[in-house]
Amino acid sequence: MKILAFDTSNKPLSVAVVVDGEVLAHVESTEKKTHSISILPDIKNTLEESNLTINDIDLIAVSKGPGSYTGVRIAVTVAKTLTDTLSKKLVGVSSLELLAANGDKAHILVPLMDARNDNAFAGVYQNSRDNFVSIMQDHHTSMEKLFDALKQYDESQLEFINATPRLQELIQNQFPNAKIITSENSLPDAAKLAKLAETKKPVENIDDFVPTYLRLTQAEHDWYAKGHKDNGNVSYVEEV
Amino acid sequence: MEKDTLILSFESSCDETSVAVIKNGKEILSNIIATQIKSHQRFGGVVPEVASRHHVEEVTKCINLALDEAKVDYDDLDAVAVTYGPGLVGSLLIGIMAAKTVAFAHDLPLIKVNHLAGHIYSANFVTELQYPFMSLLVSGGHTELVLVTGPGEFHTLGDTRDDAVGEAYDKIGRVLGINYPAGKKVDQMAAIGHDTFNFPRAMVQEDNLDFSFSGLKSAFINTVHHADQVHEELNKDDLAASFQGAVLDILSNKTFRALKQHPVKQLVVGGGVSANQGLRKRLAEEIEKRHLDMELVFPPLRLCGDNAAMIGAMAQIQYDKGDFADLDLNADPSLDFDM
Ligand SMILES: [Zn+2]
Repeated sequence: MKILAFDTSNKPLSVAVVVDGEVLAHVESTEKKTHSISILPDIKNTLEESNLTINDIDLIAVSKGPGSYTGVRIAVTVAKTLTDTLSKKLVGVSSLELLAANGDKAHILVPLMDARNDNAFAGVYQNSRDNFVSIMQDHHTSMEKLFDALKQYDESQLEFINATPRLQELIQNQFPNAKIITSENSLPDAAKLAKLAETKKPVENIDDFVPTYLRLTQAEHDWYAKGHKDNGNVSYVEEV
Repeated sequence: MEKDTLILSFESSCDETSVAVIKNGKEILSNIIATQIKSHQRFGGVVPEVASRHHVEEVTKCINLALDEAKVDYDDLDAVAVTYGPGLVGSLLIGIMAAKTVAFAHDLPLIKVNHLAGHIYSANFVTELQYPFMSLLVSGGHTELVLVTGPGEFHTLGDTRDDAVGEAYDKIGRVLGINYPAGKKVDQMAAIGHDTFNFPRAMVQEDNLDFSFSGLKSAFINTVHHADQVHEELNKDDLAASFQGAVLDILSNKTFRALKQHPVKQLVVGGGVSANQGLRKRLAEEIEKRHLDMELVFPPLRLCGDNAAMIGAMAQIQYDKGDFADLDLNADPSLDFDM
């Protein structure tokens, strides 16, 4: 199976071509480049380095969020358009699960995306027979609430992944014995993304594939808070 | 006989996701428009993050509908075109990413189109354009007078110094209790009412081609607020007619001032506000009154708002010139004609 995988859910950008488990090419950028500029040239270069064309690819693997809204949208838009236009298969992987793949398999893994003001997108994963199992759903949470939920685990078993300096400070106060991998040391790796994608079911309806934001927009949140209801089945976009 | 050119075009600069297949820049084989108006009406105006999310939901659907309706396949296409500015950056990016992906996947040339140029070239579906021609661009984001001296050669003569005309309509619409977008309703009310409030006509005396609508907007809002305070009931139709009367005076004054400096054979009006019936009537009357031998060109109503067909019309000119973009194309939210 020939897989093209890419992630732009946070500041780094990662693209890989993996064929039958072997990484043929890998482009990583940790600089603060603009993903909208670099993603397609990087995909093109990665394929060229692999001596493959886009037509040879069987499966597109993409991090679907949570993360930077714009970042995730860029990768998801490329992934769904590529899949649709070339009739490929598509697998979306949680960007938190991808970060968990950077952790020590023996630990209880807590991948994080800093969401400012001491909030984060977080999940809890455990490794079981080479698969990551989500034991607490990816969610948006205050760090305080997350710590409460993690108190049930043995502190020395906890491993926080992708902690920004501020999150690191908060974690150290709460769990001085937990392991912390900082954001510089836990770059999302598209080669790992390809591997994770192999174990998952492809997306059935490409049109309906959208990022996992895990948060309503502020405007929608406020609108619902005013008591508005739409029963979740109103179509707000119409073809005219 | 030259071969036909088919361009798959994308537009997503604000709250419409649109994909079109255009033949030779003149013929619309398909023009799919998915509008988010209903969504943003919940908030009284376009919310950028909500708009970006909707674009991701719609984009592949629109591509497939556009190809199906045009009865063409990717193999039939000659190029892919996309709006890269001006507009909301998050919205622009979705169209840009989708267009770049299609261009890359099918090895097609990519054309980056200025949204404003698209609005002007909506006229290409209506008439044979003769250079030079004058263009009045009126929308929620823009109010400009542009002289077009050759295919794709734009010279901005005048611009708004504050609000765009469509923006002013939305803002006074809110005061009248009309939800966004307010233009159509205000236009209808103005047709019934009378211009009784004598709102200011900003800058019509000044010898330049720039516009200003914020003074008019403030005068309107102050009038309504003052009446509210003294519990006076104002006639809403008259308010609308007075507002629109001032808008049309300003637009027509500056447009004919520009036409005096640059006599041309065509006046092309484009952008969302070009759907305004009052504006259509007024410009036609002014041309007749001045005995000008000039064709007045309005896009059909469907092409007044944002759509990908107009992007395909402009893209054809760039295609003929070999003006292509690379896969590192980015959005330019504040793009204008003068580089
Ligand atoms: Zn527009």
